[in-house]
Amino acid sequence: MRSDSLSAALLALTSGLVLLGAAVALWRRTARGIVQALRVQGFALAGTAVILGVQLHVALLLVTGALLIVVKAFFIPFLLRRLVRLDPTGGESDPVVNVPASLVAAVLLTLAAFVATRPLVQVIHGVPITLAPFGFATVLIGFFVLVARRRAVSQMVGLLLIDNGIGLVALLLTTGVPLLVELGGTLDVLLVVVVLRVLATRMHAELGDLDLDALRELHD
Amino acid sequence: MSVAVVSPWIIGSGLLQVGLFLLGAPLLVGLMRTVRCRMEGRVGPPIRQPWRELRKLLLKSRSQPEHSTLVFAIAPVVLMATTLVVVWLTPLLSVRVTLSGGSDLFAIVFLLLLGSVSLSLAALDTGTAFGGMGSSRLMTIVALAEPALLVAILALAATVHSSSLATIMLAALHHPIWLVTPQRLLSFSAFVVVVLAESGRLPVDNPATHLELTMIHEALILEYSGPDLALIKLAESIRLTFLLALLANLFFPWGVSFSASGISLLIGTFVLLAKVAVLGVVISAGEVAVAKLRLFRVPELLAGAFMLSILAVLSALVIA
Amino acid sequence: MTIVFAAMAISGTLGAFVASASTARHRALVSAFSSAAASGAALVLALYVIRTRHAVHLATTSVLPLGGVDLHLDPLGALFVAVTAVVAIGVAIFSIGYARQHELTRTAAAAFPIFVTSMLFVPSAWNVTTFVFVWEMMALSSLVLVLGEYRRGSSVRSAGLWYAVLTQGGAVVIVLGLAVLAQHSSGQDFTQIAQHTGLIAPWIRGVVFVLLFFAFASKAGAVPLHVWLPKAHAEAPSSVSALMSAAMVNLGIYGILRSANTLLGGGPTWWWTVVIVTGAVSAIYGSIHAATSTDLKRLLAYSTTDNIGLILIAVGTSGLLASSGHRTFAALALFAGLFHLVNHSIFKGTLFLSAGSIQYTTGTRNLDQLGGLFSRMPIASTIFAIGAVAISALPPLGGFVSEWLLLQSLLHGLSSSTTVSVILMPLSVAALALTGGLTAAAFVKAFGVGFLGLPRSSGAAAVKEPPRMMNIGAGALGVVCVVLGAAPMVVIGSLNGAVQAAQSGQLSGVTSRGVALAIRGAHGAFEPTFIALALVAALSMVGALRWALTRRVTPRRSPAWMCGREVQNSRMTYTATSFAEPLQRVFDDVVQPSRDIDVSHRSESRYFVDSVVFGSQDKDVFEGLAFRPLIRLVRETARRSRVIQNGSIHRYLSYGLVALVVILLVAR
Repeated sequence: MRSDSLSAALLALTSGLVLLGAAVALWRRTARGIVQALRVQGFALAGTAVILGVQLHVALLLVTGALLIVVKAFFIPFLLRRLVRLDPTGGESDPVVNVPASLVAAVLLTLAAFVATRPLVQVIHGVPITLAPFGFATVLIGFFVLVARRRAVSQMVGLLLIDNGIGLVALLLTTGVPLLVELGGTLDVLLVVVVLRVLATRMHAELGDLDLDALRELHD
Repeated sequence: MSVAVVSPWIIGSGLLQVGLFLLGAPLLVGLMRTVRCRMEGRVGPPIRQPWRELRKLLLKSRSQPEHSTLVFAIAPVVLMATTLVVVWLTPLLSVRVTLSGGSDLFAIVFLLLLGSVSLSLAALDTGTAFGGMGSSRLMTIVALAEPALLVAILALAATVHSSSLATIMLAALHHPIWLVTPQRLLSFSAFVVVVLAESGRLPVDNPATHLELTMIHEALILEYSGPDLALIKLAESIRLTFLLALLANLFFPWGVSFSASGISLLIGTFVLLAKVAVLGVVISAGEVAVAKLRLFRVPELLAGAFMLSILAVLSALVIA
Repeated sequence: MTIVFAAMAISGTLGAFVASASTARHRALVSAFSSAAASGAALVLALYVIRTRHAVHLATTSVLPLGGVDLHLDPLGALFVAVTAVVAIGVAIFSIGYARQHELTRTAAAAFPIFVTSMLFVPSAWNVTTFVFVWEMMALSSLVLVLGEYRRGSSVRSAGLWYAVLTQGGAVVIVLGLAVLAQHSSGQDFTQIAQHTGLIAPWIRGVVFVLLFFAFASKAGAVPLHVWLPKAHAEAPSSVSALMSAAMVNLGIYGILRSANTLLGGGPTWWWTVVIVTGAVSAIYGSIHAATSTDLKRLLAYSTTDNIGLILIAVGTSGLLASSGHRTFAALALFAGLFHLVNHSIFKGTLFLSAGSIQYTTGTRNLDQLGGLFSRMPIASTIFAIGAVAISALPPLGGFVSEWLLLQSLLHGLSSSTTVSVILMPLSVAALALTGGLTAAAFVKAFGVGFLGLPRSSGAAAVKEPPRMMNIGAGALGVVCVVLGAAPMVVIGSLNGAVQAAQSGQLSGVTSRGVALAIRGAHGAFEPTFIALALVAALSMVGALRWALTRRVTPRRSPAWMCGREVQNSRMTYTATSFAEPLQRVFDDVVQPSRDIDVSHRSESRYFVDSVVFGSQDKDVFEGLAFRPLIRLVRETARRSRVIQNGSIHRYLSYGLVALVVILLVAR
């Protein structure tokens, strides 16, 4: 019982960290800070998997956790870091939606996520399910990042936030996605990030900038 | 919680806190300065340097700018008095509440606000551009830090249905698992930002600068000298120490004394000293790596803290 | 006790007649004295009702047509009567001094006692006819008073027009809503209506609620119907703005409580959602505008919108909790709201009267042109400071206690986890928290820039204390502020009575134990008296210490540090505009200021700048958003309908004939 409630508390903590990471990604302006938030989120997600694995005695979840750490906490941030280095001034100096307004939006989106998942939480009982709103909120915030931020790095971050949110919900909802599915999802995103990175590098080479608005103009 | 009676013991432990803070707060500031100096490769002054500065100031005579009024003269007294009342009423060494209402976190916030308001009125009273500048900036920051602080407190209070610091600490100690809930994590993040803003540390204000135009806090107290300045400096250091102690007790309440025995009070005292010292060192170490934010980026920082604290309230509702 | 009703009415109307008939010298005295007498009588009656917890009733079928006069004062009404009476007494004393400079016209002298008396009667009106009658009396007399200084400029007339349209529009909607209720029950007596509303179809009840809520909210000054408030409160004579802001807006809240709780008997959650959202938006919007405005009375008016918003949040929370079955906490929320209402009346009365003193002595209410008043008129300034500390929720004054109670009630509101409350409670908490800091900033600005530092105009430099009566009137309210903060238990009984009357017998659970306010059913106790005492003790101790340290050497008076410049002048100090600039920048989207910079050069050469004038005027977004299109629509309709008015008398008479025939045929 005691270890159960401990793991429940830890689960809540890691889920909260995922949301915190999303919020910080929206809050910070420097690309470096945003990537850092993403790394924390990767760790938290991996932590969720490991805790669930220990709690439910599913060894595969531990493997998932290890995989998540490698990919989401190290490899993807590493790729993004190199992109940041390509464009050292590339913070969000002039986002589409300004930061305070984005923060208000984040609060409202979180509220929406919490309200939308209430029926779900009330129908199915169990600690992990009650934490699903954190994942949904992360997805919505990720989407908002896509809408509200200009730089290519931020776009990737938004995508990754969505993926992390979905990952969290999936982990909590099914108490452990089959490893294969999780592997597929993670690798998919990894692939997307690699492709986007290549594209961004090309973009930088062509346009000398990583601002998405620069793409509006057609170039020969 | 029953309404506590005012017993000699309770008043005594409150006075012990006041004495501890009066003596220790300047040392904390000295410690933080030393840590920063060492990390930057300088030797730095000894830790007791702030005490020496206070003694020097106390020997000087008072001066008051030409056009200022009574407000200028009493502001340091008000600042010090509110600070002492807050320290006296808050259960920091022992959860044996001093007064059940005194340990109320909302009351503490408003008492601290009274101190900031009196200082910023005094700055306007001097009738100089610097005073107005400091006052306007301080009130902007306070106006935005206040909501973040109140909501962060509410997130903590929502779990135990009480805004009494003693109740929150007791609940956390009885259910250690509650120490690691998402709402505590989020409200801790908000709290840290607010503490940095309220005590004028980096990245909001640079305590080491003395250039009038870039600073907030120094501009406010530019006209003070002698014993008045000593009072303000001492009160400011107590406020910083108090905020750190509050942070420590809210989020890491271990070691606080439960019983009315002298031994446990002694342990409580040492644990608190250790916690506050650690927090101080961490903050000053962090300051080495951080640059001061532009003034108009500060609202963004505080808006972020506000968002985190609202998310904390939401999480409290979800988890409950 | 019913005789007191008669005394109030007689004193008010007689005062109006005598005042309008007497000479200019005595007019103000008669007007003030009769208002104070009516208020005194009302205060006695209200205290009697509060003490005995029994309603006082008086009904005659004569005086008014359609059901006659029906007066019935229960503890809920008595609270509002008491607050109005206290404020009115302070204002009446103040107005005697005020009239020494601003001579009262006959109309104004007559309207003043009528305004006060009708406000005192609103909470005891117990049938639709009586209610509408006194409500209209109040609206019309206040309109006359707002226009009191119409010679001063077109801004007064414009404010009057805005006020007239909104208040009369509101009155029409109130009549409509109450008529629907009266039609569905067998009589127009409030008791009868309350008995029958349970049978009305829910959607009709909903429609009636929305109508009545917004009509009353426009009187209370809630967003988006607040637009008249900053105009009318700023332009009206200060005694009138004090009465309107500290007493009349309360009656809007009274109307909401009376109609939603007594007449309609509570409602579903969506009603309260409307109330809370309106309240939260008002609170945030009002406090942002208060923090950025530079006109002292406009600032106070916006802060009224802010405080009304807080009260509405409490009222809404109370309804929400009651509808989900948490009746004790519902009563707690209502208690907090009513306590804040009482506090707000007192400190806002104090502040408006002080603002009146400032305008009286300096001739301006623009903070940018004030400054240095504290050393020149210490008493009036101290009174303003008391009000400012109270409104900023700083200990040890009243605002602190009610803000604490509001926070407590929201804290307990959080524990009812219905979906609606999960959405609304965090938002209200955010609104409440945001307004706290902004109000403090607004009043540091008002006091610091307006009263401290150097005078920024010749008017401010030459001031002396205002007439003694003005200081006494404002100071009396200031003393009440202090009492409410240091010893809030004196009003707990009356508030509990009011809450019980509004919540069909539910106790709020707030009790006083010695010096503590305790909340039953919750871990909450709070000792405002003790905190006040501790503060006083600490202040005197630190003060004594400082005195002991510095007593040997007299403090030097030295010039302030001006970066090496020798002369300190007021051009170098911060104005209210510059003080508010950072906040204005933060809330740029809400305030939408129009800035203009005017640089004038020396005539000799364009390279030398003579002066730079920076002006910033904040706009009311809602005015442009909601009302400009409406005004355009009305203009357009008016232009179209001008076709039927060609100036021929015969044509107009023919309209009358046609209308008469049609009515006769239809009403056959």
